[in-house]
Amino acid sequence: MKARRLTLSQRRQLAGVVFALPALALVIGLIGVPIGQAVYYSFTQWDGITTTWIGPSTWSQAFHNSDLWTALKNNAALLIWVPVALGLPLAIAVLLHQRVAGWKIFRSIYFLPTAISWVVLGLVAERFFAYQGTLNSIIHAIGLSGVTTNMLGNESTALSALGITFVFTMIGTNTMLFLTGLATLDPSLEEAARIDGAGRWRIFRHITLPHLSRFIQLAFVMTVIALFSALFSLIFVMTGGGPGYATTTMEFLIYQTGFSQGQFGTAALYGLILFAITGVVGIVQLRLIGSDL
Amino acid sequence: MKTRRSVSPGRIALFVTMLAIAVAMLYPFWVMITDSLHTQSQFISGSGFSLGSWRQLSAALPVGRQVLNSTLICTVSIFVILAVGLPAGFAFAKLRFRASSLVFLGVVSAMMVPLQAIVMPEFVNITRIGLTSGYFGAVLVYAALGTPFSIFLFTTYFRGVPDELVEAGIVDGLGYVGALWRLVVPIAVPAIATVTVLQFIQIWDDLLVGLLFIQNTADRPITVGLAALASGRTTSIPQLMAGSFVSALPAMLVYLGFQRYLVKGLTMGIDR
Amino acid sequence: MAAITFDGVTKIFAGKPAVDSLSLHIDDGEFMVLVGPSGCGKTTALRMLAGLEEITTGRLLIGDQVVNNVLPKDRDVAMVFQNYALYPHMSVAQNMGFALKIRGESKDVIRSKVSDAAEILRLTDYLDRRPRALSGGQRQRVAMGRAIVRSPQAFLMDEPLSNLDAKLRVEMRLEIARIQRLLGVATLYVTHDQVEAMTMGDRVAVMRDGQLQQVARPQDLYDRPANDFVAGFIGSPPMNLLRAGVARDGDVTLSIAGQSVTLPERLASPYHLANGEVTFGIRPEDIVVGATGLRARVERCEALGAETLVHLSLNAKGASQHLVAKAGPRTTIVAGDDLAVTFALEHAHFFDVTSGATLRVGS
Ligand SMILES: Nc1ncnc2c1ncn2[C@@H]1O[C@H](COP(=O)(O)OP(=O)(O)OP(=O)(O)O)[C@@H](O)[C@H]1O
Ligand SMILES: [Mg+2]
Repeated sequence: MKARRLTLSQRRQLAGVVFALPALALVIGLIGVPIGQAVYYSFTQWDGITTTWIGPSTWSQAFHNSDLWTALKNNAALLIWVPVALGLPLAIAVLLHQRVAGWKIFRSIYFLPTAISWVVLGLVAERFFAYQGTLNSIIHAIGLSGVTTNMLGNESTALSALGITFVFTMIGTNTMLFLTGLATLDPSLEEAARIDGAGRWRIFRHITLPHLSRFIQLAFVMTVIALFSALFSLIFVMTGGGPGYATTTMEFLIYQTGFSQGQFGTAALYGLILFAITGVVGIVQLRLIGSDL
Repeated sequence: MKTRRSVSPGRIALFVTMLAIAVAMLYPFWVMITDSLHTQSQFISGSGFSLGSWRQLSAALPVGRQVLNSTLICTVSIFVILAVGLPAGFAFAKLRFRASSLVFLGVVSAMMVPLQAIVMPEFVNITRIGLTSGYFGAVLVYAALGTPFSIFLFTTYFRGVPDELVEAGIVDGLGYVGALWRLVVPIAVPAIATVTVLQFIQIWDDLLVGLLFIQNTADRPITVGLAALASGRTTSIPQLMAGSFVSALPAMLVYLGFQRYLVKGLTMGIDR
Repeated sequence: MAAITFDGVTKIFAGKPAVDSLSLHIDDGEFMVLVGPSGCGKTTALRMLAGLEEITTGRLLIGDQVVNNVLPKDRDVAMVFQNYALYPHMSVAQNMGFALKIRGESKDVIRSKVSDAAEILRLTDYLDRRPRALSGGQRQRVAMGRAIVRSPQAFLMDEPLSNLDAKLRVEMRLEIARIQRLLGVATLYVTHDQVEAMTMGDRVAVMRDGQLQQVARPQDLYDRPANDFVAGFIGSPPMNLLRAGVARDGDVTLSIAGQSVTLPERLASPYHLANGEVTFGIRPEDIVVGATGLRARVERCEALGAETLVHLSLNAKGASQHLVAKAGPRTTIVAGDDLAVTFALEHAHFFDVTSGATLRVGS
């Protein structure tokens, strides 16, 4: 028996390595290695089968490609929806936290759309914004019968429609996060402030909000990352990236470049750019988590 | 703190606001249900109701088969995630080996890698090993994408379990495997539930992986089926909505069933 | 059941020894108490014995087998943790039977052993409860129960009573000692409560900064401390340790705080006393307060009920030394009194000023 020779701590460490190994293999094999490959392929012309080394000029070429800039611009434009995707859930969470009659049922209802696939939400949103859709019904119902919108069909408004849908899809998750944060707030703090004569707004501003700051930071990071990497399903079913390139974001551009145009190398390069963007956001998140390590 | 439920005007306004939000949040369900209760021609003309679209649903979209596919893919992926994530979390939290915190940091940072960033090489790799026929390519990708988060959650959770508990088990005669399965896992039920729900929803709802890594039409999960149906030219919207509604049911049930754990699980991840 | 031997066992944490060449033998069936101030390495010693901590150097034996690299599960020792570490997801009965279950004992055997142990520990009514639903004392007994059902080679207990209230502690003290005697298993019991140390142990080992100071039967430890540390650590209130000058001339003249005391030859002879300075030790109960002797002033009195502690200062020009004496419960002494004290010198101790070691001949 060879194991007999190992000391106790060596055996513990060995067990640790063995326990961690399957997970590491999975993560390295399917996430780590592809990143390395992406770096390599980004310098090549690659159609998935044959690879031709080009060199760094692929990168300078990519940055001269207007599609990339359009996609980046679209992503940037979508960023203005992030505050909304945080503010609305924050307000909803605060409302829920007042615990009016039936608040638990409301909570379940508010979270329920979280369980719906974004594919389905995209389909529903398409119905909402469509020519004969709910939005126009509402507009007509409030008496503006002359106005008829077609947000998804219009280059100037399609991205906004996407942003609104995105906000809707994020409400459940972020509300839950904030509600969790509120639940961990010591109620005696609020009571003490009330006894000290602080009004509702002051309590919210000086006690609740600071307590929530960690949760808000986390929600911010999660929302931004979702914005950059989870819109695919919505775009795929709502607009297909159009009209024109009006709703082509980075992730959709990667999909199109790779799978519609067969330019695997360029798509890999775009993937790295997206990774760089989420990486920056991710470092912020690691900082947050890092304080726990 | 017990809130006094006096019926003040403010309280009523609050209730009405919440009701309005509830209506908005239920809107997708309303759309799915009402739209599905027409035939295509009734839908276009805007009058009349019928269960026709539901009756013909399975002809347009093999809902049963695709829901089954989705279920299988979800189940196997989550099984893999738990099977590799639990021991790894235990190792990082309790069996600290050399450089384990560095490795942990590396694994956790993999949470930030969006699939789109690696999708090209991933697709080619999986295709090369021939895993795009059948579910297994997709299962592997889902498992790899879900593992970092589950390791993060499990490690955090296990760090909160006192060392003495594991040590007591070891002195009682357990090996490390026994300590994991018989002590740590039973205590980690809330964390396991959290990972299960979040991953279930994530995988059930995903489109891209299913779209790319599952080549056989028969093996398609429901999201891919719906997306494909939606992108068809002559799609019947009532049928599409009926299918959407069916696809949303399982995730909703899982969600409502485990909601309690979910809040708990998320709290322990961030609030310590 | 087996004896336990620490043979020069050292544990180094980050370059600093937590346990420093510990050599200690525990006979089969013996109840050994390990005491010492916080951080002196008691828990570390126990954990090395349990196999939870690596031994840096030295040998550790259970029976005559060296167990340095033997896995905890193969050592067959039972440990009671300071915070009990009960399995929260198991009932009391499952907690107690867990080790047996792992070992593959049959259900019937487990049930009967658990119910025997529950009987001894008076836990029979609680067998189906979860640990969460138990009081501190009950949890403590479950932790004990988990150990005793196994009939292990050795019991290791790490301050098992420290979380209990005073009354329960007294009760459990007797209970643990009784059970240990009943089962006759070698026991290493860590505490920093010296009452536990004095009352429970067959022998007591005193540690300080990772080093073993003395191992002896409780009364011997009290009567013949090996050094000034043990002298000051064992006994409550602690032994008074005073700086004294020695002038030897047949009888010995001690000068304490500028006053002299004569130590007759007969009482001086058990000690190596040479001219110079020594540390003079005298326990509070060996100080007699009366009309003659060293002059002292009362600084403070603490009435403890059964007795009164009198804090005194022995005063002379410049030099002042502090002293605690015991007086009866209804003494009339009050702070500010000037009085005189004499020492019961047959119970005096002498230690080397620099090393602290006892000067007793033959130590
Ligand atoms: N895992 C560790 N890493 C580094 N140092 C440690 C570790 N465990 C213990 N020590 C150090 O070793 C010394 C002895 O610790 P130990 O826990 O054995 O003390 P103890 O006698 O049990 O004290 P207490 O009465 O307070 O429980 C202490 O100085 C402690 O800081
Ligand atoms: Mg200790």
